Amino acid sequence: MNNALKISLRFFLFWIMQVLVFNQLEFGFGIHLMIYPLFVMLLPFDIGIFPLLLLGFGLGISIDAFSDTFGLHASSLLMMAYFRPIIFKFFAQREGYDPLKEPSLFDMGTRWYTLVYGSLLFIHHFWFFLIEIFRINELFWMLQNTVLSIVFSYSVSLLILTLISRKSRSK
Amino acid sequence: MRKLIAFFERFRVFLFFAFLQILALSMYITFLSFPRFQFLTSANAISGQLYSWEHDLTKHFNLSDENSKLQDENIALQAQLPKSLFRLNNGIIKINDSIYRQQYEYIPGEVINSTVTKRNNYFTINIGEKHGVKRLMGVYSPNGVVGVIHSTSEHYSIVKSVLTKDINIDVTIEPIGLFGLLKWDGRHPTRGNIAGISNDLKIPRGSKVLTRGGSGIFPKGLMVGTVDAVYAIEGEALWDVVITYSEEYRTLQRIYVIKNLMLEEQQQIEKGIPEDKEER
Repeated sequence: MNNALKISLRFFLFWIMQVLVFNQLEFGFGIHLMIYPLFVMLLPFDIGIFPLLLLGFGLGISIDAFSDTFGLHASSLLMMAYFRPIIFKFFAQREGYDPLKEPSLFDMGTRWYTLVYGSLLFIHHFWFFLIEIFRINELFWMLQNTVLSIVFSYSVSLLILTLISRKSRSK
Repeated sequence: MRKLIAFFERFRVFLFFAFLQILALSMYITFLSFPRFQFLTSANAISGQLYSWEHDLTKHFNLSDENSKLQDENIALQAQLPKSLFRLNNGIIKINDSIYRQQYEYIPGEVINSTVTKRNNYFTINIGEKHGVKRLMGVYSPNGVVGVIHSTSEHYSIVKSVLTKDINIDVTIEPIGLFGLLKWDGRHPTRGNIAGISNDLKIPRGSKVLTRGGSGIFPKGLMVGTVDAVYAIEGEALWDVVITYSEEYRTLQRIYVIKNLMLEEQQQIEKGIPEDKEER
């Protein structure tokens, strides 16, 4: 499968999953399940920074248009996309990244994936709740939201990753 | 100038990021106070359609909850219905309308005794003269015609049901509009016959049979049944039309007695029709 087609398919897949499934779930305790950061995470290693930012912004704004958040998702996904190369560089192995590999659990190993995706999810979720709540006296609530949502989002992302990534490797 | 270009060169990624971020945040903040771009909300055409599809898909998930909710509502409503109350008054349901004059009133009642296996079956209902029931009033249930009041007492009435030999309710077969008389052959409580249908017209199977409303006992258009089969009668230019009753008389419970407020007027004017006389 060629790369552009794969990316557009995943764009649509993550968009429709987030809008129709995960936005409809209500857990309470401030948990907001967001799986679409995985889309930005799984973009190829050698993607340019401008396409990266544009794709992040685009997916975010598409989700915004369907969940009445007016730019909240776009802002936080853009934040995450901006920090992705920085985090990648921070956790880089000695020999650098192989552009033929995919930044997923199966290609890069559990430790690397957990650290990188965890940090990126933290940036995304923290920014999301920071902008959404935007009150200093609700800092504790904000942090609780962030941590609980990260736990849930990370677990569900893992499930989705096993679904879509195994498949793309087996081709 | 060169320094400025160099600055942009150096920070172009960050500037691009900052531009998009400011765009997103300004959209978010302005939207909170004043919605400008309607297409960015879930009220736009695409997302509205998408969500209505989604609703079509997911509305059944709550079906049992919805059902019990509806049931609760029904219980509450039924408690207000006349049949739930001890009937001090006679419980006639009246519809007031300034455009139409009320012609028919409906008196609710219940079948308390009935047979269906005899050749002529009469039903006993729990309303009588005290509730305004008189002889020759029509009786129907929401599913179909039941019969005609045969005799009344103070608190009860006897209904001559359509499961009697000579019930002779005038009916029409829709959509053709043929008129005939409803009969019962006395064999099966779900099937009746219509007599007097001329055999030069084709009657499709499944045609609706409705009351004609000619005698003033029933309003026009009450359901009777559907045409099941059509047989030719030997030696006569008539069809024997077999119909299936739309009401299941074996389990019938709730009925309404129909009171025609203009019956007297109709009978009065029909008295003026001259009797047929032989031509000379």
